[in-house]
Amino acid sequence: MPSTELVTAVTREGKFNKNAARRVRMAGKIPAVIYGAKEPSVAVELDPKQILRILHSESGHNTIFDVDVKGSARVKAMIVDWQYEPIKGSLLHIDLKRIAMDKAMIVEVPIHLEGIPVGVKTEGGLLDQVLREVEIECLPGDIPPHITLDVSGMKLHDVVRVSDLPHEGKLKFITDEDATVAHVTVIKEEVAPEPDAVAAAVAPAEPEVVKKGKQETEEAGGEAAKAGGKK
Amino acid sequence: MLMPKKVKYRKQQRGRMRGKAWRGSELSFGVYGLKVMECGYITDRQIEASRVAMTRFIKRGGKIWLRLFPDKPVTKKPAETRMGKGKGAPDHWVAVVRPGKVLFEMEGVTPDIAQEAMRLAAHKLPLKTRFVMRHDVVMTTAAK
Repeated sequence: MPSTELVTAVTREGKFNKNAARRVRMAGKIPAVIYGAKEPSVAVELDPKQILRILHSESGHNTIFDVDVKGSARVKAMIVDWQYEPIKGSLLHIDLKRIAMDKAMIVEVPIHLEGIPVGVKTEGGLLDQVLREVEIECLPGDIPPHITLDVSGMKLHDVVRVSDLPHEGKLKFITDEDATVAHVTVIKEEVAPEPDAVAAAVAPAEPEVVKKGKQETEEAGGEAAKAGGKK
Repeated sequence: MLMPKKVKYRKQQRGRMRGKAWRGSELSFGVYGLKVMECGYITDRQIEASRVAMTRFIKRGGKIWLRLFPDKPVTKKPAETRMGKGKGAPDHWVAVVRPGKVLFEMEGVTPDIAQEAMRLAAHKLPLKTRFVMRHDVVMTTAAK
Protein backbone atom coordinates (compact mmCIF):
# COMPACT_ATOMS: atom_id res chain seq x y z
CA MET A 1 0.00 0.00 0.00
CA PRO A 2 1.62 3.30 -1.09
CA SER A 3 2.31 5.89 1.60
CA THR A 4 3.51 9.49 1.65
CA GLU A 5 6.18 8.70 4.25
CA LEU A 6 9.70 9.79 3.34
CA VAL A 7 12.58 7.94 4.99
CA THR A 8 15.99 9.56 4.89
CA ALA A 9 18.94 7.20 4.70
CA VAL A 10 22.66 7.85 4.89
CA THR A 11 25.06 5.54 3.06
CA ARG A 12 27.38 3.59 5.34
CA GLU A 13 31.07 3.52 4.51
CA GLY A 14 34.09 1.70 5.82
CA LYS A 15 33.70 -1.71 7.46
CA PHE A 16 30.38 -3.58 7.67
CA ASN A 17 31.14 -5.78 10.66
CA LYS A 18 29.62 -6.15 14.14
CA ASN A 19 31.65 -3.30 15.62
CA ALA A 20 30.57 -0.87 12.91
CA ALA A 21 26.93 -1.93 13.31
CA ARG A 22 27.17 -1.43 17.09
CA ARG A 23 28.56 2.07 16.59
CA VAL A 24 25.62 2.89 14.30
CA ARG A 25 23.17 1.70 16.98
CA MET A 26 25.00 3.64 19.69
CA ALA A 27 24.52 6.79 17.60
CA GLY A 28 20.74 6.23 17.72
CA LYS A 29 20.40 4.87 14.16
CA ILE A 30 19.99 1.32 12.85
CA PRO A 31 21.96 -0.39 10.09
CA ALA A 32 19.95 -1.34 7.01
CA VAL A 33 20.42 -2.55 3.47
CA ILE A 34 18.55 -1.58 0.29
CA TYR A 35 18.47 -4.06 -2.59
CA GLY A 36 16.32 -5.20 -5.51
CA ALA A 37 15.23 -3.92 -8.95
CA LYS A 38 18.41 -5.34 -10.51
CA GLU A 39 20.55 -2.65 -8.91
CA PRO A 40 23.48 -3.17 -6.51
CA SER A 41 22.73 -3.35 -2.81
CA VAL A 42 23.56 -0.32 -0.67
CA ALA A 43 24.34 -0.41 3.06
CA VAL A 44 22.68 2.51 4.84
CA GLU A 45 21.73 3.75 8.28
CA LEU A 46 18.20 4.90 9.19
CA ASP A 47 16.21 6.47 11.98
CA PRO A 48 14.48 3.56 13.84
CA LYS A 49 11.55 5.79 14.87
CA GLN A 50 10.51 6.26 11.24
CA ILE A 51 10.70 2.51 10.60
CA LEU A 52 8.71 1.67 13.76
CA ARG A 53 6.06 4.20 12.71
CA ILE A 54 5.77 2.40 9.36
CA LEU A 55 5.74 -1.09 10.95
CA HIS A 56 2.99 -0.05 13.40
CA SER A 57 0.91 1.76 10.75
CA GLU A 58 -2.31 0.29 9.36
CA SER A 59 -0.59 -1.26 6.34
CA GLY A 60 2.37 -2.41 8.49
CA HIS A 61 5.39 -3.89 6.74
CA ASN A 62 3.57 -3.80 3.37
CA THR A 63 3.74 0.01 3.29
CA ILE A 64 5.47 1.34 0.18
CA PHE A 65 7.35 4.53 1.00
CA ASP A 66 10.01 6.79 -0.51
CA VAL A 67 13.61 6.35 0.57
CA ASP A 68 15.91 9.28 0.06
CA VAL A 69 19.47 7.99 0.02
CA LYS A 70 21.85 10.92 0.25
CA GLY A 71 23.84 11.17 -2.94
CA SER A 72 21.46 9.18 -5.14
CA ALA A 73 17.92 9.31 -6.50
CA ARG A 74 14.77 8.81 -4.40
CA VAL A 75 13.36 5.26 -4.71
CA LYS A 76 10.17 3.49 -3.67
CA ALA A 77 10.85 0.73 -1.17
CA MET A 78 9.22 -1.72 1.23
CA ILE A 79 10.40 -3.39 4.45
CA VAL A 80 10.97 -7.07 3.68
CA ASP A 81 12.81 -8.19 6.81
CA TRP A 82 13.34 -6.77 10.28
CA GLN A 83 15.04 -7.99 13.45
CA TYR A 84 14.14 -7.15 17.03
CA GLU A 85 16.38 -7.41 20.08
CA PRO A 86 14.82 -10.23 22.16
CA ILE A 87 14.81 -8.46 25.55
CA LYS A 88 14.46 -4.73 24.90
CA GLY A 89 12.41 -5.17 21.72
CA SER A 90 14.34 -2.47 19.88
CA LEU A 91 15.01 -2.72 16.15
CA LEU A 92 18.40 -4.14 15.19
CA HIS A 93 18.46 -4.27 11.40
CA ILE A 94 16.18 -3.66 8.43
CA ASP A 95 16.10 -5.03 4.88
CA LEU A 96 14.51 -2.68 2.34
CA LYS A 97 13.56 -3.77 -1.16
CA ARG A 98 13.25 -1.41 -4.11
CA ILE A 99 9.79 -1.77 -5.60
CA ALA A 100 8.85 -1.62 -9.27
CA MET A 101 5.22 -0.50 -9.24
CA ASP A 102 4.40 -2.33 -12.49
CA LYS A 103 5.61 -5.79 -11.43
CA ALA A 104 3.57 -8.26 -9.37
CA MET A 105 5.10 -9.28 -6.06
CA ILE A 106 4.49 -11.79 -3.28
CA VAL A 107 3.68 -10.32 0.13
CA GLU A 108 2.17 -11.49 3.42
CA VAL A 109 -1.02 -9.70 4.41
CA PRO A 110 -2.54 -9.87 7.92
CA ILE A 111 -5.96 -11.46 8.40
CA HIS A 112 -8.37 -9.63 10.70
CA LEU A 113 -11.35 -11.54 12.06
CA GLU A 114 -14.49 -9.50 12.59
CA GLY A 115 -17.45 -10.27 14.82
CA ILE A 116 -18.14 -12.80 17.54
CA PRO A 117 -19.03 -16.29 16.25
CA VAL A 118 -22.35 -17.89 17.17
CA GLY A 119 -20.38 -20.86 18.48
CA VAL A 120 -18.62 -18.57 21.00
CA LYS A 121 -21.71 -16.57 21.97
CA THR A 122 -24.20 -19.37 22.54
CA GLU A 123 -22.38 -22.73 22.40
CA GLY A 124 -19.45 -21.99 24.72
CA GLY A 125 -16.77 -22.45 22.06
CA LEU A 126 -13.47 -20.65 21.53
CA LEU A 127 -12.40 -18.92 18.33
CA ASP A 128 -8.87 -20.07 17.50
CA GLN A 129 -7.07 -18.11 14.78
CA VAL A 130 -4.51 -20.48 13.29
CA LEU A 131 -3.27 -18.35 10.38
CA ARG A 132 -2.55 -14.67 11.05
CA GLU A 133 -0.98 -13.76 7.71
CA VAL A 134 -1.69 -15.05 4.21
CA GLU A 135 0.70 -14.93 1.27
CA ILE A 136 -0.69 -13.20 -1.81
CA GLU A 137 0.58 -12.16 -5.21
CA CYS A 138 -0.50 -8.80 -6.67
CA LEU A 139 0.74 -5.49 -8.01
CA PRO A 140 2.34 -3.26 -5.34
CA GLY A 141 -0.43 -0.68 -5.73
CA ASP A 142 -3.13 -3.28 -5.02
CA ILE A 143 -1.71 -4.67 -1.74
CA PRO A 144 -4.53 -4.43 0.84
CA PRO A 145 -3.62 -3.28 4.38
CA HIS A 146 -5.37 -6.40 5.70
CA ILE A 147 -7.96 -8.99 4.71
CA THR A 148 -11.05 -8.78 6.88
CA LEU A 149 -13.16 -11.87 7.43
CA ASP A 150 -16.57 -11.85 9.11
CA VAL A 151 -16.74 -14.85 11.47
CA SER A 152 -20.02 -13.99 13.21
CA GLY A 153 -21.82 -16.85 11.44
CA MET A 154 -19.41 -19.58 12.56
CA LYS A 155 -20.88 -22.34 14.70
CA LEU A 156 -19.11 -24.85 16.95
CA HIS A 157 -16.49 -26.91 15.02
CA ASP A 158 -16.82 -24.69 11.93
CA VAL A 159 -13.59 -24.08 10.00
CA VAL A 160 -12.68 -21.16 7.74
CA ARG A 161 -10.03 -21.88 5.10
CA VAL A 162 -7.89 -19.65 2.88
CA SER A 163 -10.27 -20.26 -0.04
CA ASP A 164 -13.08 -18.69 2.07
CA LEU A 165 -11.24 -15.37 2.45
CA PRO A 166 -12.92 -12.51 0.55
CA HIS A 167 -10.79 -11.27 -2.33
CA GLU A 168 -11.09 -9.52 -5.64
CA GLY A 169 -9.62 -10.66 -8.94
CA LYS A 170 -6.49 -8.58 -8.38
CA LEU A 171 -5.16 -10.90 -5.67
CA LYS A 172 -3.87 -14.45 -6.04
CA PHE A 173 -3.39 -16.59 -2.94
CA ILE A 174 0.00 -18.29 -2.74
CA THR A 175 -0.75 -19.99 0.61
CA ASP A 176 -2.43 -23.40 0.23
CA GLU A 177 -6.15 -22.78 -0.26
CA ASP A 178 -7.01 -25.65 2.11
CA ALA A 179 -4.99 -24.15 4.97
CA THR A 180 -7.08 -23.39 8.07
CA VAL A 181 -7.46 -19.71 8.97
CA ALA A 182 -9.66 -20.07 12.05
CA HIS A 183 -11.95 -22.56 13.74
CA VAL A 184 -14.38 -22.60 16.64
CA THR A 185 -13.24 -25.24 19.09
CA VAL A 186 -14.04 -26.44 22.61
CA ILE A 187 -11.56 -26.30 25.46
CA LYS A 188 -11.99 -28.80 28.27
CA GLU A 189 -11.94 -27.31 31.74
CA GLU A 190 -9.17 -28.51 34.03
CA VAL A 191 -10.51 -30.70 36.81
CA ALA A 192 -8.54 -30.96 40.04
CA PRO A 193 -7.02 -34.50 40.08
CA GLU A 194 -7.65 -36.97 42.91
CA PRO A 195 -4.88 -37.38 45.54
CA ASP A 196 -4.07 -40.95 44.35
CA ALA A 197 -3.58 -39.73 40.81
CA VAL A 198 -1.32 -36.90 42.06
CA ALA A 199 0.84 -39.41 43.96
CA ALA A 200 1.12 -41.58 40.85
CA ALA A 201 2.06 -38.57 38.72
CA VAL A 202 4.69 -37.37 41.20
CA ALA A 203 6.43 -40.76 41.30
CA PRO A 204 9.47 -40.31 39.03
CA ALA A 205 9.77 -42.59 36.04
CA GLU A 206 12.84 -42.69 33.87
CA PRO A 207 12.48 -42.48 30.10
CA GLU A 208 13.63 -45.20 27.78
CA VAL A 209 17.31 -45.00 26.81
CA VAL A 210 17.97 -45.41 23.08
CA LYS A 211 20.99 -47.69 23.58
CA LYS A 212 19.08 -50.43 25.33
CA GLY A 213 20.62 -53.76 26.31
CA LYS A 214 23.06 -55.34 28.67
CA GLN A 215 24.92 -52.09 29.40
CA GLU A 216 21.89 -50.33 30.89
CA THR A 217 20.78 -53.24 33.09
CA GLU A 218 24.29 -53.53 34.49
CA GLU A 219 24.36 -49.80 35.17
CA ALA A 220 21.05 -49.90 37.03
CA GLY A 221 22.20 -52.86 39.11
CA GLY A 222 25.52 -51.17 39.83
CA GLU A 223 23.82 -48.00 40.99
CA ALA A 224 21.51 -49.86 43.34
CA ALA A 225 24.54 -51.55 44.87
CA LYS A 226 26.32 -48.18 45.17
CA ALA A 227 23.33 -46.59 46.88
CA GLY A 228 23.26 -49.46 49.36
CA GLY A 229 26.98 -49.20 50.01
CA LYS A 230 26.87 -45.45 50.63
CA LYS A 231 24.50 -45.66 53.58
CA MET B 1 5.04 -34.21 34.74
CA LEU B 2 6.62 -33.39 31.40
CA MET B 3 9.66 -35.46 30.45
CA PRO B 4 11.12 -36.98 27.26
CA LYS B 5 9.83 -40.38 26.18
CA LYS B 6 13.20 -41.57 24.99
CA VAL B 7 16.73 -40.26 25.60
CA LYS B 8 20.14 -41.14 24.24
CA TYR B 9 21.93 -40.74 27.56
CA ARG B 10 20.50 -40.82 31.09
CA LYS B 11 22.71 -38.08 32.55
CA GLN B 12 24.02 -34.78 31.23
CA GLN B 13 26.62 -32.24 32.23
CA ARG B 14 25.38 -28.84 33.35
CA GLY B 15 26.70 -26.71 30.47
CA ARG B 16 26.65 -22.91 30.21
CA MET B 17 23.80 -20.47 29.66
CA ARG B 18 25.31 -17.60 27.71
CA GLY B 19 23.68 -15.08 25.44
CA LYS B 20 20.07 -14.33 24.63
CA ALA B 21 17.25 -16.41 23.19
CA TRP B 22 17.44 -15.37 19.54
CA ARG B 23 15.00 -18.12 18.65
CA GLY B 24 11.61 -18.49 20.28
CA SER B 25 11.64 -14.86 21.42
CA GLU B 26 8.53 -13.70 19.56
CA LEU B 27 4.87 -14.65 19.84
CA SER B 28 4.12 -17.44 17.35
CA PHE B 29 0.72 -18.89 18.25
CA GLY B 30 -1.24 -16.69 20.61
CA VAL B 31 -1.87 -13.03 21.25
CA TYR B 32 -0.38 -12.76 24.76
CA GLY B 33 2.79 -14.27 26.17
CA LEU B 34 5.11 -14.49 29.14
CA LYS B 35 8.71 -13.65 28.32
CA VAL B 36 11.58 -14.59 30.61
CA MET B 37 14.16 -11.88 31.39
CA GLU B 38 16.93 -14.01 32.94
CA CYS B 39 18.66 -17.26 32.17
CA GLY B 40 18.12 -20.32 34.34
CA TYR B 41 16.51 -23.70 34.81
CA ILE B 42 12.74 -24.19 35.01
CA THR B 43 11.80 -27.59 36.42
CA ASP B 44 9.02 -29.87 35.21
CA ARG B 45 7.05 -29.19 38.41
CA GLN B 46 7.30 -25.42 37.98
CA ILE B 47 6.07 -25.69 34.37
CA GLU B 48 3.14 -27.86 35.46
CA ALA B 49 2.29 -25.53 38.37
CA SER B 50 2.29 -22.52 36.02
CA ARG B 51 0.14 -24.32 33.48
CA VAL B 52 -2.38 -25.37 36.11
CA ALA B 53 -2.51 -21.84 37.57
CA MET B 54 -3.23 -20.33 34.16
CA THR B 55 -5.73 -22.99 33.09
CA ARG B 56 -7.72 -22.77 36.31
CA PHE B 57 -7.83 -18.98 36.17
CA ILE B 58 -9.06 -18.68 32.58
CA LYS B 59 -11.33 -21.76 33.00
CA ARG B 60 -12.69 -22.63 29.55
CA GLY B 61 -12.15 -19.16 28.16
CA GLY B 62 -8.91 -19.44 26.29
CA LYS B 63 -6.20 -21.57 24.79
CA ILE B 64 -2.68 -21.96 26.18
CA TRP B 65 0.55 -22.96 24.46
CA LEU B 66 3.69 -24.10 26.31
CA ARG B 67 6.80 -23.03 24.42
CA LEU B 68 9.31 -24.84 26.65
CA PHE B 69 9.98 -28.51 27.40
CA PRO B 70 12.09 -29.95 30.23
CA ASP B 71 14.54 -32.09 28.27
CA LYS B 72 17.60 -31.85 30.55
CA PRO B 73 18.01 -34.39 33.36
CA VAL B 74 19.26 -33.17 36.73
CA THR B 75 20.85 -35.72 39.05
CA LYS B 76 20.92 -35.77 42.83
CA LYS B 77 22.91 -37.77 45.35
CA PRO B 78 21.02 -39.46 48.19
CA ALA B 79 20.86 -37.65 51.54
CA GLU B 80 23.76 -38.09 53.96
CA THR B 81 26.07 -39.43 51.29
CA ARG B 82 29.78 -38.63 51.19
CA MET B 83 31.15 -36.89 48.13
CA GLY B 84 32.63 -38.93 45.31
CA LYS B 85 31.62 -42.42 44.17
CA GLY B 86 30.29 -41.13 40.89
CA LYS B 87 27.43 -38.97 39.69
CA GLY B 88 24.05 -39.27 41.43
CA ALA B 89 20.85 -40.74 40.02
CA PRO B 90 18.51 -38.74 37.74
CA ASP B 91 16.12 -36.79 39.97
CA HIS B 92 14.06 -34.44 37.82
CA TRP B 93 13.94 -32.68 34.45
CA VAL B 94 14.53 -29.01 33.65
CA ALA B 95 14.13 -26.67 30.69
CA VAL B 96 17.12 -24.40 30.12
CA VAL B 97 15.93 -20.90 29.24
CA ARG B 98 17.82 -17.83 28.15
CA PRO B 99 16.61 -14.21 28.42
CA GLY B 100 14.03 -13.26 25.81
CA LYS B 101 12.40 -16.70 25.50
CA VAL B 102 8.59 -16.76 25.35
CA LEU B 103 7.52 -19.42 27.84
CA PHE B 104 3.73 -19.46 27.49
CA GLU B 105 1.27 -18.08 24.98
CA MET B 106 -2.45 -17.48 25.34
CA GLU B 107 -5.40 -16.59 23.14
CA GLY B 108 -9.15 -16.17 23.43
CA VAL B 109 -9.32 -13.99 26.56
CA THR B 110 -9.29 -10.26 27.27
CA PRO B 111 -5.93 -8.58 28.00
CA ASP B 112 -6.81 -8.13 31.69
CA ILE B 113 -7.57 -11.82 32.18
CA ALA B 114 -4.47 -12.85 30.24
CA GLN B 115 -2.27 -10.52 32.30
CA GLU B 116 -3.66 -11.83 35.60
CA ALA B 117 -3.28 -15.46 34.46
CA MET B 118 0.32 -14.80 33.43
CA ARG B 119 0.98 -13.05 36.76
CA LEU B 120 -0.21 -16.15 38.61
CA ALA B 121 1.94 -18.35 36.37
CA ALA B 122 4.99 -16.11 36.88
CA HIS B 123 4.68 -16.56 40.65
CA LYS B 124 5.41 -20.28 40.18
CA LEU B 125 8.66 -19.59 38.32
CA PRO B 126 12.11 -18.86 39.75
CA LEU B 127 12.99 -16.21 37.13
CA LYS B 128 11.99 -12.63 36.27
CA THR B 129 9.36 -12.46 33.54
CA ARG B 130 7.43 -9.89 31.56
CA PHE B 131 3.94 -9.96 30.03
CA VAL B 132 3.99 -9.36 26.25
CA MET B 133 1.25 -9.00 23.65
CA ARG B 134 0.94 -8.39 19.91
CA HIS B 135 0.87 -4.72 18.96
CA ASP B 136 -1.88 -5.31 16.40
CA VAL B 137 -4.34 -7.06 18.72
CA VAL B 138 -7.84 -7.09 17.27
CA MET B 139 -10.22 -8.21 19.99
CA THR B 140 -12.71 -10.65 18.56
CA THR B 141 -13.59 -12.60 21.67
CA ALA B 142 -16.56 -11.75 23.84
CA ALA B 143 -15.50 -10.11 27.09
CA LYS B 144 -15.58 -12.60 29.91
